[in-house]
Amino acid sequence: MATTAHHDEHDDHHGISHVASTKVLLGTGGSLLFLTIITVAATKVDFGASMNLIIAMIIAIIKATLVVLFFMHLKYDKVFHSVVFVSAILAAALFVGFTLMDSNQYQYTNIWHPEDPPPAPVGPRLVAPT
Amino acid sequence: MSEQPHAAHDDHGDHGHGDVNPFVQHHYDDAKHQFDSGKFGIWLFLAQEVLFFSALFVAYILYRSHHPEIYAYAHKYLDTKMGAINTAVLIFSSLTAAWAVRAAQLRQQKLLLACLATTIACACTFLVVKYFEYTHKVHEHILFGTKFDPCVSSNDTPLATKLNLCPGTKTTIESREIVDDQKAHVLQVTGGCFPNVAIDADTTTPGVQANCKVYEVRGKLKKDKDAGGKEIFTLVETPGSRKDVTNRCRDPWNEGLAEEGVETVEIDGKKEEPEKFPCWKPSFQPAVCKTGWFFPWTCEGGKCERSTGGEGPFDSLAECSSKRNDAESKLKGLGKATVGECARGGASAILVDYNDKEERESPTLEEEGVKIVTDCTGATSVGAPDYFKATPPAPLAVGKKTTSSRRDLTEHEKHEKEHNLLYSGPPPEHTSMFFTIYFAMTGLHGIHVLIGIFVFIWLLIRATKGHFTPDYFGPIDFAALYWHIVDLIWIFLFPLLYLIH
Repeated sequence: MATTAHHDEHDDHHGISHVASTKVLLGTGGSLLFLTIITVAATKVDFGASMNLIIAMIIAIIKATLVVLFFMHLKYDKVFHSVVFVSAILAAALFVGFTLMDSNQYQYTNIWHPEDPPPAPVGPRLVAPT
Repeated sequence: MSEQPHAAHDDHGDHGHGDVNPFVQHHYDDAKHQFDSGKFGIWLFLAQEVLFFSALFVAYILYRSHHPEIYAYAHKYLDTKMGAINTAVLIFSSLTAAWAVRAAQLRQQKLLLACLATTIACACTFLVVKYFEYTHKVHEHILFGTKFDPCVSSNDTPLATKLNLCPGTKTTIESREIVDDQKAHVLQVTGGCFPNVAIDADTTTPGVQANCKVYEVRGKLKKDKDAGGKEIFTLVETPGSRKDVTNRCRDPWNEGLAEEGVETVEIDGKKEEPEKFPCWKPSFQPAVCKTGWFFPWTCEGGKCERSTGGEGPFDSLAECSSKRNDAESKLKGLGKATVGECARGGASAILVDYNDKEERESPTLEEEGVKIVTDCTGATSVGAPDYFKATPPAPLAVGKKTTSSRRDLTEHEKHEKEHNLLYSGPPPEHTSMFFTIYFAMTGLHGIHVLIGIFVFIWLLIRATKGHFTPDYFGPIDFAALYWHIVDLIWIFLFPLLYLIH
């Protein structure tokens, strides 16, 4: 224990990987709990439905960033790991974005009763071949 | 395994034992090489996890963008407090997991064990809270797909359900046939509860159906004495003052909000500001005590409804009657519509402390009273023909109204009221989709938590054996990374599922 005591005070690369300092760990954990309280409190206030959602999402993104940077050591890790992770998030964002763009391109499915069909479409008709 | 040419040239040779670590596999150059390879592997796995969950997030976002009303209604079924507790628990476990890595790196054996054990304990707490949430939903039939048949609305108002499966209120009827003195065919209820839909006309319920009209009657109050010599007020009806107010209390589920306004009235010198709203609907449902059950019919908060279940069975008729009287006394006040009067087949009057604009502007009419009369014709007995005939109509009850005033609802009260009416109604169409998505997301996340518990138990066992050293702590680091991603996903699930405004 005595030989490792000096590591407690600062961040450094101990052996084969970075050691997170107690300050960083406690700070991150504390901020996450604090932001959780904020996000619950923010829901109680009416900023308008979409604004409330935006606020909640911004707080969630901040929390996620804190987790990734400090708890997951990405700040001190190899850049390549960041590239892997961020590209996964970008891929997910593309997935969400393109699906949302596409989702409004369809008409709602009309389900009708066979005995009560919808009116016939209005428009030019095919001329029957003579 | 031990023959590693590079081990001798270890940069960090001061540790002295890196080269003999039995957990460093022979195909790696050294401990760091092994660690880095493992770390790259776990990051690839985490990237995959992000994509894995993103499919469910797409389902969520897509459905929410098309059906926001479902989310606004359904999230009220979820307990924010439980969600918040779980968020805090997971964040704390993330902290201990990160600290476990640090402890392993610094060879703090006891701290490592403590951190791993705390992480496991937190993960278990998370699942226990989830267990309570899930069992409540199973109990109330707030489930996914076609299993969604909730017993209560999202503010806990009982609902009529399609499949009639709810505990307590809507089980099947257990009954036996008896033949009473008048040789009428009666089904006596021996146990169980009544389905909501069966209360009105079902022949299994002894009751009376009638065509009832509710009238508001104005007149002068006359001091009188009742049979016991007690001073009472009776109302002498002013000719032509009778006004049909049947169904004046509109059904908020079908017709929008009930009337606005709060009335302050003084009845017999007692000032009241009831939160109830005028509400007169003829009651077709008598307070049945014959079989040890009764069905209160209540008007509260601008909403009239029959009880979904009824209460009972009671051991004796006396017990049932006292229970019924309790229920009736609870209805005292504005908008009181007593149970059973109409069904007894005669007209009866109920004191209603009602005041309208015209009266407010004419303070000289202070001694004028208003009463509500329920007139029923064509009362048809169903099931128990002579029971109600034997019961005389209830006496007229009229009190003296001295002052009254009316104020408008404040914005806040209006908002509250609309809110309550909205969330006490049945769920919007396709609400089951919210719970399909909810169970898919929280379920998949829960499985991840469960796997995490097993992984950390394995690590705890290995840690007790002293396997982890500053040269070899990869498994702890990788498990912690996995645990952080589980936490990270919950960080998004919590506001998206529990905190919809």
